[in-house]
Amino acid sequence: MLIAQNIRKGYGGLEILHGIDLSLAPKQITAILGPSGGGKSTLLRALSILDAPDSGSVEVDGVKYSFPRKRKNGIQPPWPSLTVVFQQLFLWPHLTIRRNITLPLDKLRAKANGVAAEANKEVDALLDLFELSEQADRYPNEVSLGQRQRAAFIRAVVLHPKYLLLDEITSALDVEHVSKILEHLKSLRDQGTGILLVTHLIGFAKSAADQIIFLEKGRVVESGDRSLLTTTKNERLRKFLSLVETAL
Amino acid sequence: MSALDIIVSYRQEFLRGLQVTLQLCLIIWSVGILAGMILGVAGARWKTVIGLPSRALSFLLSGVPILVFLFWLYYPLQYALGVDISPFKTAAAALSIVNTFLVADVIRGVLLEFPEQYLMAARVCGLTDRETVLRIQLPIVARQVLPSLLFVQVGMLQATLFASLISVEEIFRVAQRVNSEVYRPIPIYTALAFFFLAICLPLHGLAQYLKQRFTRNLSER
Repeated sequence: MLIAQNIRKGYGGLEILHGIDLSLAPKQITAILGPSGGGKSTLLRALSILDAPDSGSVEVDGVKYSFPRKRKNGIQPPWPSLTVVFQQLFLWPHLTIRRNITLPLDKLRAKANGVAAEANKEVDALLDLFELSEQADRYPNEVSLGQRQRAAFIRAVVLHPKYLLLDEITSALDVEHVSKILEHLKSLRDQGTGILLVTHLIGFAKSAADQIIFLEKGRVVESGDRSLLTTTKNERLRKFLSLVETAL
Repeated sequence: MSALDIIVSYRQEFLRGLQVTLQLCLIIWSVGILAGMILGVAGARWKTVIGLPSRALSFLLSGVPILVFLFWLYYPLQYALGVDISPFKTAAAALSIVNTFLVADVIRGVLLEFPEQYLMAARVCGLTDRETVLRIQLPIVARQVLPSLLFVQVGMLQATLFASLISVEEIFRVAQRVNSEVYRPIPIYTALAFFFLAICLPLHGLAQYLKQRFTRNLSER
């Protein structure tokens, strides 16, 4: 279970997150919705402990990270059992698409040949599924943004994280690839992964999310199961949903 | 006397001049690159204590022509300190200092502009700090640094000519001396130009190639 309590985070004296509480269970998809600048990406970074919260705590499968922390070292970080795909992707520019995906798997390869062979097969299958086989030996600056998004997604997925945090990873994808990614997310959820997804895809949230969180100005304005998206009485959420649906 | 005759007749002098130029270059390159790397990395790591003074000194040096700096080290400084250091050592020291600051500027700039997010991506993928440095940071930094470093070293090779002005018997001074004896400036200086072209052009070409091949867009846009 991933549990965040009273997460606060600010930059330069300006508080972005004002005490967020949330939890994410395995086999669960949580969709975070909300207007731009509301703190969604900041929340993902804080939850992954990459950008430590100013205060509050994050608990990952019983290991609690409390903030502020006096000592920076000493606790084993939760990666890659918890991993993130960033909005800006950050594929390493000196490595090919394939190597970007396989570099983090080198430890597995070192352990056993059988595991390595399995991992290779899985990488090939995912490259094929997301139509990247032909681009696999190219460098990130030689492929399109959509292809980079798919590669970053595969890089995270092949690590088999227990918790997968995704920040707007479908923004540059066409409908067909969005659909493939969303289907894959459902399948990962069914296999036991807890998925936290920042998205504007209301349709997907309606059909697949187990939990909805509406974040605005660094606060959870509304949360609940996916029926919230059709039955909410919260004026802000209704207005946001109507704006997104009009825009799409 | 043809150009070939001149070169054959004065081959001992030219070879000695060439040897001095290459010795000077070797010292300037090795000292400058090593000290510059240390200063650059330290300047990026400790921005206030080392980075700031290093940038200030580099800024100061960039405002002084290399020739003036060389002369200042050779004449007034040695006179003021009451020491007598050979022209070769003075030239090696002056040009090594200039090279050190130029290299440090390149290294510090690349390190400070290194996108932190690549390191974040490495962490969430489970890479250890050591793996992140060795497999992500170092290769990207090396690819960014190498072309600029080569350009700077080509410039430093050309700057060794200034050493002739404080009587270092390097290749240019030898060429001047031979010319004063035979007075055949066209073949002598043309041969000198070809000599520098033969060394500088491949280095310059390599730097261009590396820049084109490895300096990838880090912004992802």
